[in-house]
Parts: sequence; structure tokens; C-alpha cells
Amino acid sequence: MDWQPLLLTFKLASITSIILLVVSLPLAYWLAFGKFKARGIIEAIIGMPLVLPPSVIGFYLLLAFSPSYWFGAWIENLIGLRIVFSFTGLVIASVIYSLPFMVYPLRAGLQSLPLSLQEASFTMGKGRFETFYKILLPNCKPAILTAFVLTFAHTVGEFGVVLMIGGNIPGVTKVASVAIYDEVEALNYTVANQYALVLFAITFAILLIVYSINNRLLRVRQPA
Amino acid sequence: MNFQRIIFLFSILLAGCSKPSDKIIIATAANVQYVMQDIKKEFEKESGKKIEIVVSSSGKLTTQIREGAPFDVFVSADTKYPQEIYTRGGSDEKPKIYALGTLVLWAKNIPSADLKIEILSEEKIRKIAIPNPRVAPYGEAALQVLEKQKSFDQIKKKLVYGESIAQTAQYISSGSVEAGFNALSIVLSPEMKGKGQWIIVDSTLYKPIEQAAILLKHSADSPKKETSRQFYDFLYSKKGREIFKKYGYK
Repeated sequence: MDWQPLLLTFKLASITSIILLVVSLPLAYWLAFGKFKARGIIEAIIGMPLVLPPSVIGFYLLLAFSPSYWFGAWIENLIGLRIVFSFTGLVIASVIYSLPFMVYPLRAGLQSLPLSLQEASFTMGKGRFETFYKILLPNCKPAILTAFVLTFAHTVGEFGVVLMIGGNIPGVTKVASVAIYDEVEALNYTVANQYALVLFAITFAILLIVYSINNRLLRVRQPA
Repeated sequence: MNFQRIIFLFSILLAGCSKPSDKIIIATAANVQYVMQDIKKEFEKESGKKIEIVVSSSGKLTTQIREGAPFDVFVSADTKYPQEIYTRGGSDEKPKIYALGTLVLWAKNIPSADLKIEILSEEKIRKIAIPNPRVAPYGEAALQVLEKQKSFDQIKKKLVYGESIAQTAQYISSGSVEAGFNALSIVLSPEMKGKGQWIIVDSTLYKPIEQAAILLKHSADSPKKETSRQFYDFLYSKKGREIFKKYGYK
């Protein structure tokens, strides 16, 4: 068995999760406490990847990234990189595809904090950023952990989008899920099985660890 | 609602599902899908029977047939997959070759006059799409052609692999890659007409792409047995061959 697809999968999932965490923290805060009219529209857009078939996302990304269309051509002229069939392309696609898995738990976590916590901080003269960073975030660690891990796991499980825009290049875009598909297609069930078992074991372990940690964190916070 | 009534309704529902049908299902490799539409039309006109076509890659169809998918005839893209089914006892007779495929080099934005294999090593060609050579016979053929090129090392870095001939066609026709290899039957189809330029690749550069079909096993009393046989024979009939020829098969 070749370990490369598995390593690539975890590299993709790690990078995607880190980028999404950075992007989603302010976004979740804004959705949780911001006062604006278009909330419904923004929420609907963020939630789209939950509902749309990955093939739809993959198809549109393929067209968007293709140098025959203006966006892809523009990017290629700008930075000299073709996004489609590249690792960067997969990262961008995964960030879009996994966005709700990061934003929703974060927003729920922020919203579940009592408002008085924020207000107390404001009264004591702390600004919005400091309150967010020093008061709110440390108080919703379980939500952050859940969001991060769900995003990671969801990216590991990504298949349809990668299949559409990846081009199956070994070491670049051939992630584990696509490698499994490939081996099944070639009637090579033994290798497909090995990949699948490794993924199975690792994802189970990750989720198990996260939920154990979360349970402990939540128990600590509950009043006895 | 009482229990008996639920059971009663369920059995009606199930009875509706299990109604025997003699409509046969043809498992079709992606590169043959457009030809199959014509074959289907002609066969239905001639026999007065209706058939259904399922299109996928040969590898996937083989897996599905192995796991008991209700297909009646399998029209594959190569000989390896039907042979595998035959070896495993999925059919009473050996697969038979129905056509030889032709490989084309296809590009969306390169003028016909410039389109040749040598151009692939040039810098302006950044990505080249071929069907996955491990599973798709046209990909295997394309790789054989490329390996004979002096600049293969350069070309190799540009390759992207479509999971099937259809996806490769999509990469080329959408312009996501500058050029790629495909089947003549695909570029000749009405759906792909006018989507770029193509040339036929010198057939001495690759091993013949032999495409075979196999008549899948039926129980003796199956209502589909006769129609399946009729369809299988139609593939090799004069009329069938003419349709394949129209789509560039030899």
C-alpha cells in the first residue's frame, strides 16, 4: 500500500481546517452578535455546501477555475498558477465545501454563552476584540474543538469535489478517498480495503478523542 | 391503523415492485454511450422491444455485475473486464469483440493545423488530460503513444487523469486543460460537435483498442433471456456494425 494518498489527505484536511478556523472565528462572531438585515441570505449561502451535492460544487468550481472562463484566466494571469488540478485548488474547494462545518458549531458555541459575560467585560472597559479574544473564546473551547474536528473529518471524507477538479495526480491531488475509488475501479479490492481500514481507524480515533475531551470540558463547566 | 392493515398495504406495495418485466438493461461503457443511443433506436425499431441503457465506466460496471446488478448485456470498453466476468462464471459464453476503438488528440483552443503530438511538449501546453490508464483502455493507449515521445519526461508532469473517458472529455471540452486524448466516438458524437479540434492518432503507436461485449447469465426461465440474446446478436449484425462504423469504430 502506498501511504502518499493518506498523507496527502491529512495534509489537505489540516491546512483546510486551519484556514477555516481563522476565517470562521470573525464570521461566526458576526453571525452570532452582529446586527444586520441580510442575515438570512448570508446564513443560506454559508449553509449551501451542506445541502448541495458535491458534484454540483465540483462542476461549478471546475468551470470557475478553468482558464477558458474569465475567473480562472484572471487568476492564472495574476499569479501564474492554474488552480484546477492543483493542491491549491483542492484547498480552496475544501474551504468552500467545509465552511458550514466550521461556522455553525462556532456560532452555536458563541451564542450559548450568557450575554452578561460580554456585558460585564464591556462595563469594565474592555473593547470588542479583547472581549472576544480573552473572554468569549476561552469559554467556548468545546465548540472550537468540535468545529475544528468536524471540519477536519469532513475534509478527509471529501470525495466528489476532489474527483471533479483534482485530476487524480499522484502526490498532488490523489487523496485517499480517490485512491480507494481508483483501486475499486481497477478491481483491486485488497488495496482498497487497506486504505479504507486505515481511514476508518484514524477517523474513529479522532472523533473518539474529541468527544471524550469535550465531555470532560463540559462536565467541568456544569455546576455541580 | 391496526397491524394487519399495515401488513396488507405493505404487501400491495411490494407486489407493485416485483412485477416481472422483460425490459432488458444494457450496461454500457462510457465511450460507447452515444453510439448506444443509435443502436437502441435501431434495435427497438427492428424488434419492437424496449431496452434500457446504463452508462458508467467499465470498471464500475464490472464491480456491479460481480455483486449481482441486474444487467443483461455488458458492452465494455475493453476485453479485460468482460473476460474477468467470464472467468468468474458470470456468463456462459466468452466475450466477443464488437469494435476496435480509435484514439484522438483533442484540443479546444489549438488550430487544427498546429495540432500534433509533438506540440504537447511545448510550454504553452500546461495540462494534458488522459483517461486513467489503469482502468480505461483509451488512457492505456494514450500512455503508450506518449511514452514513445522523446520528451515524455516533460509531458508526464503535465498529465491529469480523468476517472473515465467522459470526465476526460469534460476536462478538454471545458478548456480546463489545453489538450487531451479521447475516443473518436466521443468527438464524433452530436453532443461534442464544434467543441474544439481533433486529429486521429497514428494507430501504429498503440496496441489496438479491442472492445468486447458479453452476454450475461440468465436463468433458463428468465423472460429477458430471449431479448438479451437478440440484442447481443444485433451488436454483431450488419446493421449494428454500420452504426459503430458511423461513430468511427473499426
